[in-house]
Amino acid sequence: MKHLFKILIFNCLIVYSGYSVAQGDKDKVEAIRYNFINEKLKLTTNESEKFWPVYNEYNDKVKALRKNLRQSLKKASEDPSETEAEELYQLDIKTKQAEAELYKEYRGKIKIIIGAKKTMKLRSAEEEFKRKVMEAIKDKDD
Amino acid sequence: MPVFICTIFLFSAKIKAQATYDSLKIKMPKHYFNTVISLDGYRKPKQEFTDTADFLAKRLKSYGLNQFSLSFYTPIITDVEEDTVKHITKSTHVLLTGTYIRLKPVFDSLKPHDLVKTGIGLRFIFNSGKKGVWFFDVSPFVTKDRTYTSKPYFRMASTIVYSHNVSERFNWRIGATKSFMWGNRFYWPFIGLRFGRLDKVNLSVQFPRSISLNIPANEKLILSFYTKPQGGMYNYSNHDSLYYLKNDATFSYTRYELNSGLRTDVKFGNNVSCYFATGISSKNNITFYSETANKGKRGVYKKYFFEQNLGPTLFFNVGMVIKFGKTRTFLNDRNMYDVMDLNNTNGVGDNNGSMGNPQIPVAPKKIKNVNLNSIQDLIDYNDF
Repeated sequence: MKHLFKILIFNCLIVYSGYSVAQGDKDKVEAIRYNFINEKLKLTTNESEKFWPVYNEYNDKVKALRKNLRQSLKKASEDPSETEAEELYQLDIKTKQAEAELYKEYRGKIKIIIGAKKTMKLRSAEEEFKRKVMEAIKDKDD
Repeated sequence: MPVFICTIFLFSAKIKAQATYDSLKIKMPKHYFNTVISLDGYRKPKQEFTDTADFLAKRLKSYGLNQFSLSFYTPIITDVEEDTVKHITKSTHVLLTGTYIRLKPVFDSLKPHDLVKTGIGLRFIFNSGKKGVWFFDVSPFVTKDRTYTSKPYFRMASTIVYSHNVSERFNWRIGATKSFMWGNRFYWPFIGLRFGRLDKVNLSVQFPRSISLNIPANEKLILSFYTKPQGGMYNYSNHDSLYYLKNDATFSYTRYELNSGLRTDVKFGNNVSCYFATGISSKNNITFYSETANKGKRGVYKKYFFEQNLGPTLFFNVGMVIKFGKTRTFLNDRNMYDVMDLNNTNGVGDNNGSMGNPQIPVAPKKIKNVNLNSIQDLIDYNDF
């Protein structure tokens, strides 16, 4: 019985570590993105301690919004009824609207902390990083 | 007055700005900390007592150690407060901690005793959002000899530390700790210095807990050269009549050793990591204290009836750290990295075991083998 319990625990750990590897990919890319932005922005110690908590919160909210929409679209049937489609449509519009509102609000906060010049540098760094990710995906596909 | 008006204005702006977001009722992770469980095995091979003049040393012949511990921490309260005037983000974290240790001191001439230490504690960490982080820990625990009938002892370890991040490359800490890890009840100052970033190569001196040089080789492998004490104070049944002067049924068995060696942490994905450490265990001290003779003492136990210091030997330590749950992001947030490090430097339950810093991410240098499904929340379809 004891051995059976040990085997069960061991199997659970293997399954969990497999799930954990898949989760890790996202975190890796995110960590690279943050380091990339950090290098580009060259924040002072004072700016850095204020900027990252705000930027993290913004990204958490955006990720949660996108995940929510993605899951709802996944759950929807292939041929949704008019009412279901209307609900999804409303969710899609609201998600985009919320993203835009969050962007405006948090960029405002970031501008106060690091100034307009660095806020625009942040924008370019984000774009540059997206291009790098696209290239990495393209390289993988090739 | 203008500050007051500005605050009201900003607050109302916040409510308005997040109206759509709030209406969607999106679920976000509450805490910055994962629930973390650590399993740890520690072994020191047998050594002969060389003191031929000591009656008990002759009787016990040799001494070795086997230890298994299970410890955990889990966040119970996280409060994040944004100061809209100073533009800083303060956070308060309350964690529940727990520990279960089974220690088997092995003496050649005795049947091994199974000593158990069980504890539940609380941690309070306050991140001021500027340069300082406060850390408070109380770890009450009970020790008992499970092999024979013995009286359980209740003890309490506690720590208070203020940590100051001068920059991301330099940090100092000051505080006080009541700990049993040096084999007695000690009240000591806590002094810490760290040179280097927590996610890069750093040298960390945390008296009285550890000195370590941490080298993240890559995002999956971390090497640490370290020196740290390991020990504790346990109750031990007098079933074998080791203490013959007084009629105590139980006495205090204490031990400490100073372990210096290399530890290798390997991460398997994001939530599971394993470690293996080995090196030299020096200053191997073992002492038996009579509870009756030390009764009423609030500080250090002074009256012992057996003490031996054994020569250096090897030690082996293996463990596994498992994280559960999703957390808020704190990437590049120096203060939050320090919050995590404070929590991990001060091992759960006064064991001075270390879970490493599994929450602090070490970024890989290049993006390779990106799986589109894994990053779909990070990019928008308009990005294509």
